[in-house]
Amino acid sequence: MSFKQAKYDEPFIKDLVSRTTFETISEDFDEAIVPSSILNKAPKVPEIAEYDVVRHFTRLSQMNYSVDTGFYPLGSCTMKFNPKYADKIASMPFFSEIHPLRPEWSVQGTLQVMFELQEYLKEISDMDEVSLQPLAGAQGELTGVLIIRKYFELKKELSTRREIVVPDSAHGTNPASAAMGGFNVVEIPSNEKGTVDLDALRYAVTEKTAAFMITNPNTLGIFDPNIMEIAEIVHSKGALLYYDGANLNAILGITSPGLMGFDVVHFNLHKTFATPHGGGGPGAAPVAVNKKLADLLPGPIVRKSGDGYYLDRSNNKLGNMASFYGSFGVLLRAWSYIKRNGSDGLKMNSYRAVLNANYLAKKISKDVRISHPGLKKHEVVASSQESGKRALDIAKYILDAGLHAPTIYFPLIVKEALMIEPTETVTKRDLDYFADLIHEAVSSTQEELSAHPVNTASGRLDEVKATRDLIIKR
Amino acid sequence: MLDYDQSMLDYLGIKDFEGLFSDISPNIRKKKLNLDPHCSEYKLVQEATLLSESNRFDDYSNFLGCGVYDRIIPSSVDSIISRSEFLTSYTPYQAEISQGMLQSLFEYQSIISDLLGMDAANSSMYDGPTALGEAARMAVRVNDRKTILIPDNIYRNKRNILINYCSGLDVRFKEYSFDMKTGMLDLGDLESKIDDDVSAVIVENPNSYGIIDENVLKVKDVIRDSLLISYVDPISLGVLKTPGEYGSDIAVAEGQQLGIHQNYGGPYLGIFTYRKELARKSPGRLIGETTDNKGRRGYVMTLQTREQHIRREKATSNICTNQALMGVAALAYLATVGPSGLRKIALATMHRSFKLKQIVSGNRKIQANVFSGTSFSDVPVLIESDEDRLHRLLRDNKVFGGIKLDRIMENRYDKLKNAFFFSTTEKTEDSDLLKLKHALEAV
Repeated sequence: MSFKQAKYDEPFIKDLVSRTTFETISEDFDEAIVPSSILNKAPKVPEIAEYDVVRHFTRLSQMNYSVDTGFYPLGSCTMKFNPKYADKIASMPFFSEIHPLRPEWSVQGTLQVMFELQEYLKEISDMDEVSLQPLAGAQGELTGVLIIRKYFELKKELSTRREIVVPDSAHGTNPASAAMGGFNVVEIPSNEKGTVDLDALRYAVTEKTAAFMITNPNTLGIFDPNIMEIAEIVHSKGALLYYDGANLNAILGITSPGLMGFDVVHFNLHKTFATPHGGGGPGAAPVAVNKKLADLLPGPIVRKSGDGYYLDRSNNKLGNMASFYGSFGVLLRAWSYIKRNGSDGLKMNSYRAVLNANYLAKKISKDVRISHPGLKKHEVVASSQESGKRALDIAKYILDAGLHAPTIYFPLIVKEALMIEPTETVTKRDLDYFADLIHEAVSSTQEELSAHPVNTASGRLDEVKATRDLIIKR
Repeated sequence: MLDYDQSMLDYLGIKDFEGLFSDISPNIRKKKLNLDPHCSEYKLVQEATLLSESNRFDDYSNFLGCGVYDRIIPSSVDSIISRSEFLTSYTPYQAEISQGMLQSLFEYQSIISDLLGMDAANSSMYDGPTALGEAARMAVRVNDRKTILIPDNIYRNKRNILINYCSGLDVRFKEYSFDMKTGMLDLGDLESKIDDDVSAVIVENPNSYGIIDENVLKVKDVIRDSLLISYVDPISLGVLKTPGEYGSDIAVAEGQQLGIHQNYGGPYLGIFTYRKELARKSPGRLIGETTDNKGRRGYVMTLQTREQHIRREKATSNICTNQALMGVAALAYLATVGPSGLRKIALATMHRSFKLKQIVSGNRKIQANVFSGTSFSDVPVLIESDEDRLHRLLRDNKVFGGIKLDRIMENRYDKLKNAFFFSTTEKTEDSDLLKLKHALEAV
């Protein structure tokens, strides 16, 4: 292993005291203008020269792995390469320097981008109407849940429809969003194939059910072949079907939530449409619905009339979920990505993402057990249990080779889970190398494995101590 | 098809790409993806440039504000957050290889909680209003009461988000009123609405009239043991006492002004701070300090048992993706401008809003001194004109501004029927003020 991550003993920012070099404003202003009762002595902010600020963060950045550094196979996170043209476009000043309350006639270029993105997302999903407002996947889910809530409130069924059903393989945000929207969560077990157990679903979905939330393909990377039957079971009880779009990367141009019978969908633009994830965010998660829910979408929708674009605010039953129209800086990047890739490129991306997942699944299957047999879509889940090695130890071994580890211990229904999503932006060589690392890891002794990582900026960190001491500021 | 595509398919024993999708029934196969085919990067950038140019009105003077402000962004900020190691990383699930982001976010938590005078901060939320929604939910978690008191002039978008965020809880919102002489919250009215059922009181400083609300200093004395949630303007803390100093239990803010571009509405930054005892009830990701196996200082995500990926439906919030990169922007901004810079920026903003009031007065159809309280950035001006006509005049004079008060809040006061907002920042120049004066003279 030739990888060595930078390892600075980087001081805490408050210990970097140097004289400020900031002098944008030369004038001095009288403090008497501030009411004396509420005037402070000085804001508590560190004073640092710009050169020290830049060096500090440059060194910190060198202690951070990124998708620009290499393979980043976090399952369900779709860490594909973030194309540079999107950064270039997002930083164009007449996109980035626009106040959200500027009059519509002065932001026609921006509104056109939003309008086109709405149209693209409708075409990709086969849904009828879309709101670009929600700010991240979980907020898209909450928005969807509140749309469902409003729908039943208006139908005067909310007092009985108190439950949202989720499979046990669901992302944690699904039950969390359902609960935040005021619903009781009913979890159903998956069957031995890793898909929805139809009998369990029939039993769980009743007149008390508001919705069933699933992602398809699911978190095991499996496309549920019974999706039409699932839709029928859910709809036959008057409930709605919610599509968690986290795993959409597998099916662009191949099938769609609309064709599968979903009523509400959210898209994770920071996954499927390659917008950078910024070390945890921002994201963006437009929500699309079918006709019967169209007037329950939040926020203004961009419409076209004649040659101009305007914000239609007539959709106001749900009010808004964000202050303005969504994370435009992220929306703009997704628009760029869709335009650049086009109908042929998007479909080819899904082809390759799925090919890579299946190739990798077979490659690693001699060393770790694949959770379920059969075709995979965007990702594959393996269990290291039979190898006698912990998923955590395998992950740390992979880090030492200069790759990011897969998601581990998720989904919860697979023991010692390694959840691997290669995406389309890696080569066969990357996949082969990753498979070699898995082989090396399971072939190592436990003692060897426990020593990793050593090539990263820090050795194995004590999470128990962090919780116990709870030092969350200094 | 690349040559290794075929060798990979051969390895799988699958004939072609389509063979990878044999598990998807033909009944639900998409016939055609009806989008244009791919275009070259050159063509795309060219088209984007043209579209962006159609937004180009840089000869206009800007007086738009009301929550989002056009401030000077030091070049260091964009340089730092454009580093691809920050920009293109995921949530730091593997701490050992993500120490750069983790230390940055720990520093953000430290600096931002200092700025607000609070014990602790999470590592970011989506934006100010959603942070406020989460704050209301957290208050109810803490004391299990059912009423939240809100200012009657709160922006409509914040009100809607509060209602939406709390719609799953059994919670009522009650309003308190404002003193039309000072433009500050009416302490007597607020006190009269306090009872044992009030979970929290939300105050804003500066308030939605743009007034530096000196009455927030006395709120803690009249709300008994209800929690105090403050929503503040982080730039104003260059000169104003912190929410911590007036006893806030939770303090939130919109962080856009701290080095983040206006971006037509996002991405922004939700700042979320609180008293440390409340940490276990708090939403959002938290970074904690610890040590590695050699005893060296290091950072990890901590208290994850509050979060959705562990606790599922019992989580304190559903938030997963947050605004980490925007948090780094805010941190880089504060570190670059420093205490003296932040103070100057706040004072410059105030001096210019003061000047704005002076310069537009003198026309009998215009009343700029609406309240005796001091404005920070947003100045409500009473103008005897209908909205369309005013906006036409502003456009003719190349001015952006004049947001009608009742467009952004429910107006409960006759006095403010014809109020329009004009906002200043440190970028506002005398020439801008003269343009505005000229435009308003025509009213």
